[in-house]
Amino acid sequence: MPEVYITGVAMTELGKLEEDSHQLSVQACSAALRDAGLLPSQMEGVLSTPTGYMTEPRKFVSQKMADYLGIEGGLMGDVDCGGNSSALALKMAIDAISLGNIKSCLVFAAQREIPPAKLRENPVENIRLIKNANALYDTYQGAFGVIGVICFYAMAIQRYMHLYGVKAEDIANMAVVLRDHARRHPQAAYRHPLTVDEVLDSRVISPPIHKLESSMIMDGAAAVVLASRELVTDTAKAVRVAGLAEAHDATSFLPYQGELARFPSSERAAETALSQSGYTIAEVDVAEVYGAFAGTELMVYEELGFFPRGEAPAAVREGRTTHGGDVLINPSGGRLSLGHPTYATPLLETTEIVRQLRGEAGKRQRPEAEVGMVHTEHGMMNGSMVMLLDRRGEEAGD
Amino acid sequence: MDLTPYIQDSAAEEFLARLREGKFQSTYCPKCEKMFYPPRIVCITCLNENLKWEDLPREGELLGFTWQEDAFRCGKPDVLGVVGLEGIGNVITRIDAPYENLSIGQKVVFDTWETPDGMVLHQFRPIE
Repeated sequence: MPEVYITGVAMTELGKLEEDSHQLSVQACSAALRDAGLLPSQMEGVLSTPTGYMTEPRKFVSQKMADYLGIEGGLMGDVDCGGNSSALALKMAIDAISLGNIKSCLVFAAQREIPPAKLRENPVENIRLIKNANALYDTYQGAFGVIGVICFYAMAIQRYMHLYGVKAEDIANMAVVLRDHARRHPQAAYRHPLTVDEVLDSRVISPPIHKLESSMIMDGAAAVVLASRELVTDTAKAVRVAGLAEAHDATSFLPYQGELARFPSSERAAETALSQSGYTIAEVDVAEVYGAFAGTELMVYEELGFFPRGEAPAAVREGRTTHGGDVLINPSGGRLSLGHPTYATPLLETTEIVRQLRGEAGKRQRPEAEVGMVHTEHGMMNGSMVMLLDRRGEEAGD
Repeated sequence: MDLTPYIQDSAAEEFLARLREGKFQSTYCPKCEKMFYPPRIVCITCLNENLKWEDLPREGELLGFTWQEDAFRCGKPDVLGVVGLEGIGNVITRIDAPYENLSIGQKVVFDTWETPDGMVLHQFRPIE
C-alpha cells in the first residue's frame, strides 16, 4: 500500500481573534500548501471540522473551502467528534491515500468562539448555547447542570492523586514545565514565566483543578497537507506516517464502569500505533499529547507508556520530559500554554511534531529528533488517536 | 428561563418520574438477570425490550467529589460526586455535605433532592 507523507503544516496566531473562522482557515491552508510546495489544484481531498462550541453556525466548512480554493477531488467532508475531530479527519485522509483512492488531501480546522461579552448582549442566544452545551451529556450527567467536562476530569485527577500519593505541587509543576516550553515558542498564547506558587495561588475552578492548571479555549486555525510519495516535492521536509491507531471505550464522558483515574482508550491506541510502526515507546524522541489539564497530562504520560503508573510526577520533576530529558513532551507548551482551539488542536500538535522532525523548531528543537508521536482525544478521553511520525520520508523520496 | 434538561429517551423520563416518588430504580433484564445503570429501553446483552424496573442499592462508596463553578440548576458552589454502587457501577450525583467534610471511600446513602426549578434528582450524604 502507498506510504503517506505529511508535506505541509501551518498554524495561525492563537488567542481571542477578530477574523471569521473562514479567513483563519484560508490563512492556515494557503500557508500549509506553500510549505508543501503544492497548489490547491493538486489537492484531491479536503476535510475539516466544526468551528467551535459557543460559535456562529458554520456548516459545510470543507465544501466552502473546496469552492474557495478550487479543489476538485474524491474526498470531502466535515468530521465532528469533539477534540478528536481534526485527528479523525487526518485519519480519513491517511486511509484514503494509503488505499490509493486519492494522492493528496488538505486537512484544516479553525475555532472561533463568540466572545462572552457579545453573548451577554444576547441572553436568548446565550441560553440556547448553554443548553446545547448541557445536552452534550446524557440525562444522568446533564441533569446536574453540567456544561463542561472539567468537573469530571477533576474527580479523575482527585482519584489519581489519592491512588498514587500525588501532591498538589506535582500537578502545579506540570503547568510550570509546559509554560517553560511555551516560552521558546513565538506563536504560543502564554509565554510569561510561571511558578508553582503562582499556579497554586490561582483560583480553584473545580477542585483540585486550579485556573492555571486548566487549558483555555481560544480561537485559531491550523492546516496539514498529506500526500503520497509521488507528490513529495521536498524530501527533506516530508515526514512519514509510520503508525496510526484509534481506540474508543464504551463510555461517554464520565464512565459508568471502572476506575475514574484511567483512560484505557489512550493506552490501547498507543499500543496499537507503536506496534504498527515497529517502534517502542523508548524510541520516541518527541511527543505532543492532548492534556487539557495539568493533572490529566501526567495521567496521559502513563497511559501512553512513557512511565509506569504513578511515576509521571517524579519523572517530570526530574526533568525527564523536558529539553535534555529522556523524551521531549509537548515542546509547543501543550494545551495549557500553547493555547487550545479545540477543533484545531490535533493539527497544531501535528504541526509541532513535523517541525521537530524537520529540525525547524528553533529554540525548542529536540536535537536529532527522528521519531515523533501525536496523541489526541475526545470527550473525557472516551476515544483517542495516536500517530507515529518519522524521518524515513527523506530516504523514500530518493 | 426554561432550563429543562435533555431527556434522552423514555427510560430517562421514567427514571426521573420514579425519583419524584422517592424510588431509586433502574432497568433489569429478566432474561439475562442483569441490572443496568443508567437505565435502558433495551437490554444491551440480548436486545430484549421487555425490561423491569428494580431497586438500586441505596448505599454506596464515595469515589470522587468536586464542585462546579458554572453549572446551572444546582447551587454555586454545589458538590458533585461519583458514588460506586456494588454490582452496578458509578453514579454521578449531588452530594449533600460541605466539600471540606468529604473524603474518598466514605460510605454514603441515597436521598432525593428538589432543585430550585422544581426537578427531583438524587443526592447522597455521608453515613454518620
